[in-house]
Amino acid sequence: MRDVYVLGIGITSFTRLEYPLYEIAAYPAKMAMKDAGIETVDHIFVSNMGGARLNNQTGLASAVVDNLSLLPAGAETIENGPASGASAIKAAYMAVASGLHDVVMATGAERMREVNNLDATDFVATLTHPLAEYIYGVTLPSLAGMFTRLYMDKYGITSRHLGMVAVKNHANAMNNFYAHLHQEITLDGILDSPEAMTNNPYVADPLRFFDCCPVSDGGACLILGTADAARRTGKPMIRLAGVGQATDTHCVFERDEPTDLLAVRGAAKKAFDMAGKSPCDVNVAELHDAFTVLEIVESEEVGFFNKGEGHIALEEGYTKLNGKLPINPSGGLKAKGHPVGATGIGQAHEIVLQLRGGAKKRQVENAKVGFTCNFGGFGNNVVCLVFERED
Amino acid sequence: MSKLKIYGYKCKNCGKVHYPHKSLCKNCKHDMFEDFEQVELPTNGKLLTFTNLHTPSGDFDVPILKLGIVELENGNRITGQLNIDEPKIGMSVKGVVKTVRKSDYENYKGIVFSKA
Repeated sequence: MRDVYVLGIGITSFTRLEYPLYEIAAYPAKMAMKDAGIETVDHIFVSNMGGARLNNQTGLASAVVDNLSLLPAGAETIENGPASGASAIKAAYMAVASGLHDVVMATGAERMREVNNLDATDFVATLTHPLAEYIYGVTLPSLAGMFTRLYMDKYGITSRHLGMVAVKNHANAMNNFYAHLHQEITLDGILDSPEAMTNNPYVADPLRFFDCCPVSDGGACLILGTADAARRTGKPMIRLAGVGQATDTHCVFERDEPTDLLAVRGAAKKAFDMAGKSPCDVNVAELHDAFTVLEIVESEEVGFFNKGEGHIALEEGYTKLNGKLPINPSGGLKAKGHPVGATGIGQAHEIVLQLRGGAKKRQVENAKVGFTCNFGGFGNNVVCLVFERED
Repeated sequence: MSKLKIYGYKCKNCGKVHYPHKSLCKNCKHDMFEDFEQVELPTNGKLLTFTNLHTPSGDFDVPILKLGIVELENGNRITGQLNIDEPKIGMSVKGVVKTVRKSDYENYKGIVFSKA
């Protein structure tokens, strides 16, 4: 297999975007081509989850490749729930590593705000088991709520720890122009003050409003290629060194130990093994904090901290921007936003920016190895990536 | 009207009871796409976890939808709706099968748990 490098990156604001879905995918793609200094690619993978249902758009890749005037390059749409983005990167990786193509684009897009919030939540809930979960009204927030209650019971994490994740990620997003939420929050405002219940009502208890990511539109793009192609860009050489994926039971209730996220553990291990790295080599990470609790639990499952100790690392400021292992410097899904099909590419975009040293006010010093965890379903399909800067 | 029941799917090779149905047995990989025994699941069990969902989907005409995961007496687990004022982890519950969701086209039947 050939080594695979990042040639170019692009992103849109994660917010409400009044553009057709194919343009939300095309905008970061043209940015990434400009970044890489190229005018053509061999193949494109477009990640998207809800085009057919939310935007009345199927065959999205065909629309995007034509909009970008990249004909007759091959084009495919990748749908893998909220892990679609990292799955598209994985597909692009395989295409380059195998020798099939030299330069491959993974661009992701989602336009969820074309429908109202309840319909958007119901759309995401179609990820659940149709007969054993969905019919009861199970949504992703409700699964996260039930999971959080167990985690609190077993490991002693509290609403305060969840609030600390939200405060940290909102603060990080203040320095990210592309983030959905530019709103600094405090524990006082969301938990302690008399107004806290109004500011921060329950969504699926014990989870509250500020424990949940926003519903975002947005797009992001990564162009991958061979070492030769990467050298021609003149950019720092960022290698996609590890790609790991694992799955878990479709129904959350079928898991032997319901507080484990085995797919996260498995995907991270595969990615680290392939890269020849261990969790302690990582300088910066983007974890899938669709709910604040997930940042804590994923930080344990991927191996940064022991099981049940992620909240202690959080308390000690270990995961802050100036901490020993900054997590979600972009603001994470919590504050940067979560356009489901684009999220995994958005995470990789941040890591590449960090490894290049181009993250400005939110730059993590001396970042050489970066990690992403893109979490599909409620942990039933997870893709992890390890990126390394080669000097 | 006969009492509605909820069923599990028993592998004819190793005897493992699945809920929901699997095409290949999780335990022995036996092909149970069609070759399985439908067995009645117990409706009593223990509440493992729960949530009060304050943002139910549009099909539910309630301000708060109570959901939980229950371990049934035979060891199978199941998601259901809760009709319990103050649920607690570990409490004993009993279930009845009735309409749990109404859409424009169909009434879906499922299990609703109350305090045992």
